[in-house]
Amino acid sequence: MPSLLGNIFKGWTDYSKGNEEGGHHDYEHMYAMVIDLDLCTGCNACSTACYAENNLPVVGEDKFGARQAMHWMRIERYFDEPDVGESDTETQSRGASFLPMMCQHCNAAPCEPVCPVGATYHTLDGLNAQVYNRCIGSRYCANNCPFRVRYFNFYDTAESWPAPMEQQLNPDLSVRSKGVMEKCTMCIQRTRTGRDKAVREGRELQDGDIQTACQQTCPTSAILFGDLLDKNSAVSQIWKRQQIKLGTYKQDKDNPDLRGYRIFEELNVDSKVLYLERVREV
Amino acid sequence: MTTTKIDRRNFLKVLGLGGAGAALAGCDMPSYATLEEGEEQVFSYLAPEEYVIPGIGVWYASTCLQCPAGCGVHGRVREGRALKLEGNPKTKLNAGKLCQMGQAALQTHYNPDRITKPRVNGKDATWPEALAAINEKGGGNIVWLTGAISGHQRVLLDIHLKATGGGKHYAVETVNTKAWEAASADIIGDAHPNLHIDKARAVLSFNADFLGTWMSPVKFMTDYGRFRAAPRGVLTVVEPAMSLSGANADHWVAARPGSETAVALGVAHVLASKYGVTTTGLSVSTTDTIATMDASRVAALSGVDGATLSKIARTLVANSPSLVIADGHYDTAAAAQVLNLMLGNLGSTLTPSADLGAPHLTNIGGTTQALTAFAEDANAGAIDIAFITGVNPMFTAPYGLNMMDALDKIGTKVAITMFEDETTTACDVVLPLASPLEDWGTHVPAFGAGAGQIHIQQPLMEKLHADALGFGDILLGLAQDGGADGLDDFEDYYGYLRTAISALIGSDQEAAWNAVLQAGQTTAPTLERAFTINGDVTINVADTTAHGLTLVTTARQGLYDGRHANLPWLQEAPDQISKAVWDSWAEIHPKTATKIGVKDGDYVSIQSKGGSITTRVFIYKGVHPGTIAVPMGRGHSHYGRYATDVGVNPLNILDVDIDPRTGEINTDTTPVKVKATGDNRYLVRLMDTDKQYGRKLAATIPASQFHRTEGGA
Amino acid sequence: MTWSEQRGRTDLPMGREGANKHMSADRPQSRSFPWVRTIMAAGVVGALIVLGVQILDQELRGGESPLTPTGPRVPGAVFPTDPFEGKDVPQPINYSHKLHAGDLGINCLYCHTYARRSKVAGIPPTSKCMGCHTIVATADDGDKPEIEKLTTLWNDGQNPAWNKVNDVPDFVHFSHERHLQKFLFNNPDMDIQDSREVCAMCHGDMVEVGVAKKMRPLTMGFCNTCHENNDGPADCTRCHK
Repeated sequence: MPSLLGNIFKGWTDYSKGNEEGGHHDYEHMYAMVIDLDLCTGCNACSTACYAENNLPVVGEDKFGARQAMHWMRIERYFDEPDVGESDTETQSRGASFLPMMCQHCNAAPCEPVCPVGATYHTLDGLNAQVYNRCIGSRYCANNCPFRVRYFNFYDTAESWPAPMEQQLNPDLSVRSKGVMEKCTMCIQRTRTGRDKAVREGRELQDGDIQTACQQTCPTSAILFGDLLDKNSAVSQIWKRQQIKLGTYKQDKDNPDLRGYRIFEELNVDSKVLYLERVREV
Repeated sequence: MTTTKIDRRNFLKVLGLGGAGAALAGCDMPSYATLEEGEEQVFSYLAPEEYVIPGIGVWYASTCLQCPAGCGVHGRVREGRALKLEGNPKTKLNAGKLCQMGQAALQTHYNPDRITKPRVNGKDATWPEALAAINEKGGGNIVWLTGAISGHQRVLLDIHLKATGGGKHYAVETVNTKAWEAASADIIGDAHPNLHIDKARAVLSFNADFLGTWMSPVKFMTDYGRFRAAPRGVLTVVEPAMSLSGANADHWVAARPGSETAVALGVAHVLASKYGVTTTGLSVSTTDTIATMDASRVAALSGVDGATLSKIARTLVANSPSLVIADGHYDTAAAAQVLNLMLGNLGSTLTPSADLGAPHLTNIGGTTQALTAFAEDANAGAIDIAFITGVNPMFTAPYGLNMMDALDKIGTKVAITMFEDETTTACDVVLPLASPLEDWGTHVPAFGAGAGQIHIQQPLMEKLHADALGFGDILLGLAQDGGADGLDDFEDYYGYLRTAISALIGSDQEAAWNAVLQAGQTTAPTLERAFTINGDVTINVADTTAHGLTLVTTARQGLYDGRHANLPWLQEAPDQISKAVWDSWAEIHPKTATKIGVKDGDYVSIQSKGGSITTRVFIYKGVHPGTIAVPMGRGHSHYGRYATDVGVNPLNILDVDIDPRTGEINTDTTPVKVKATGDNRYLVRLMDTDKQYGRKLAATIPASQFHRTEGGA
Repeated sequence: MTWSEQRGRTDLPMGREGANKHMSADRPQSRSFPWVRTIMAAGVVGALIVLGVQILDQELRGGESPLTPTGPRVPGAVFPTDPFEGKDVPQPINYSHKLHAGDLGINCLYCHTYARRSKVAGIPPTSKCMGCHTIVATADDGDKPEIEKLTTLWNDGQNPAWNKVNDVPDFVHFSHERHLQKFLFNNPDMDIQDSREVCAMCHGDMVEVGVAKKMRPLTMGFCNTCHENNDGPADCTRCHK
């Protein structure tokens, strides 16, 4: 069958599949995360570990002030907690709320369809991938991201690594140059290595085979990473327990007290990071 | 009639037909090829170990030396280069986790500003020349000025001092737990009780930033993860300015700086009078002290009202077992231990530590009392030769200690260091030190490792700079030169350590040694101890109300006491509370800001008796109105390209105000005058807002909801 | 009247009234939009051309491919065999593949051991060379200048500085291990003795050369063709991380 018509028929069948059936991909894995905000102390170890693992450049005060820093994982800090009642005391009556924010690897990512050259797409692992050498730097994807987690290399970053600092660079992934977009990849170099190892050993991928850099270093174990398609993984069990489903923005929980939620759920981007609400004794 | 004009319809027609042809071009076999042949080089190995496979990392176990906690690390090494550090999962202390200072140890190691050659009087020299320069001025009183030291490095240092006339070892740490240790030793007979945050249902902290910089933060953070799991523990923090621990508190209480003792005793008062918590075991005078601390007195001293005191007390009573920790002042720590006694926490959330059977290896622990003593002895002209390593007294000492004069009066100053800093540039001889990732050592964490744990430090790679020597090697050489006995058999520190560890583990077999290296630790026998309670506690309650605006300076888990200001990752890592980067700031309350007449980004000059600093304000409610809090860490005048002239240093302008019970320099008792300078510049931060404006970003639920779903009440 | 002639006419009523007028029975309907026919014809022709191109393309890619291998014999593999003339890259030691892999028949994996487990096949450590060259064909023989060079480097503790021949850009992350697993180790029809056939798919038959020479283009098109023919992954981030 000539591939044009064949593709159309096959593509349509796939495309009309619901997300539960794998959507228009045959997903091998569906990597996702769970971040427990009650455990996050805001210490920033995850962010620095990400710098170390992913060859992130340091940009200095001026460029940081121009919002051109490259922190793939950033910890936001808020003082307001509307759901536990505002505190109008003279001094803080409680602590802050920390929010680790990185690419949410949305299954319906708004950044994917707008790339003019197709440099960002959804992999069969469920990750939103960024291909540096394909990127032409239109920055449309960053514009579309509601979480603002895409970072553009406005400058050449060679001076970030004066000798011998360049020896620390991780050879498992590229060092990006000026003009390309980058963002959290959920440590794709680690996920691929972990998966290849399982394949080589002739077994299924198990929970814990792959740890992202942020997850591995987080002292309180607030960050969990795993495969939603693996029924035994910690993240899939938590997603199930929190009654958050992929493929919809209407989460019908039979227990409204459950503290799992996704950020900007109403935008229907189908993000894959589940946050557990912070708890405050009042 | 024809027209030559191509109108829109014709044009589209043409495009429709011609477009199909473009599909033929593919990416098969283009005529060019990648031009990489012969462009790069590969250096093949000579004779690698069997387990070294290029392309796959080898992991080595070692110990992190970025702060005195001493966490175990695993270093990933590829092709002979250390690339990434993770926590050592086998280490009980940090259980496979690592903080951002540990992660940044790679930048300490690969820092472009490392000293690579010995220096004599500011000029490059060779090792023999440097050693000759040290020996030139003869003997006299030889001393060591270091940070916290433990393990076999401490042994060799002690041997050296003994062989060279019995000089003093000043161990200095600006961030220390001396107040807690002194009070604990006096009251419960154990300076380092084991703290079980994971078993506590309530934690009350007075000035002890246990999640950030106090004692063993990574250990406490791993415990904190369990503390918050159902049944969920409640955290209350009382301090003058919000620390990382305070930022995670369910209840945060702003207290006037120096008044935490009053608040603690106020809580004891409420417990005794309202909740019938017994004070048996405490002496009459201690009970009397508690009785005097009623709510109005506490409020007058600290600004903390009776309702808050009751709330704190109620939390402790309702969530048992609790744990009360404190630091900063002896009296505050003493009051905290009194609370622990009253609440019956001893034996559950505080358990006795065990003494290391090899006491010469124990951690000497640093203090600022040693800094003061060093300054006094040096100023008196009593020091002839000083070996200085792991400490920067010119940066951390208040001007009132006259550190510059003190150093001038020392005959010969020898710095053993990786970097040029304010102190090492004042030294006559500078010896280049290998980084912790290139060096051997043993370390006994002062706290939290579990009984008898000795952490091993081993090189992750060959030395980057051939002339840098390991700390143990330098100590061994000095001790041998100094005439110490019994060291002549050892060619290097590796040999010494190997012998010592083999004796410790009772085997000199290669396999046993490798097992120790792979684990990154070994154990030494311990002697159990028990608490001995002394309920007669004299607690002095300070009255700091007359101070006006007080300067408070604390360390953050990042730049720490300034030692990590030369690491770009940590300069660019936003401060956990203010989210500021690459510069200092002064935290003030909105009321204070109104009084001074400043807004965000305004510069203020902060003047004490000792000097003044000028920096921008950060205005928020997480600070007591009587406080101006400037975190320490920046303000280096000489510390490499990343740290020099970045920010201001509050440590230098502190008053030399000594806690009489510990000898420590107080960091929260300096009264200051603050004036706007009229300058303004945006303080660069990760984010300017602290509100979510109705968006559900970092959502919070009340604990009752958590209890309903996840249990515990 | 031709279309262009008609357009020149200004006496025809325009707008709805005009359209109605145009729709009147005395004019054929298609005259109202005279270009419709041409567009439809163009569309049909275009669609046929596109279909034809797809069929041609399909035949080019599958079925009887003109790329039927005439080189290495690896059961189950279909790969491009276009030759490529590489540059002569100077090396510190003029090692001869012809002698070692050819005449002596040493297996590729004996030296390039790491290909089994790692991304890189690896240049063998000098200890591997010295394993033989301290016994046979040593520097002491007097007539073997390359072995003398090797031995000098070994004795001086110097790592040889090889110039990379089969190199790809830094943003390409190629894994030898995955390819050898697929075509050699997990391939029931292949024996490790014949590893040479697998290596030759991308490196050419090295027994033909002395010092290593690049014998395949190693362009993305080269890799992609083989992937398409052998059900390899088409995911960009497999190679571009």
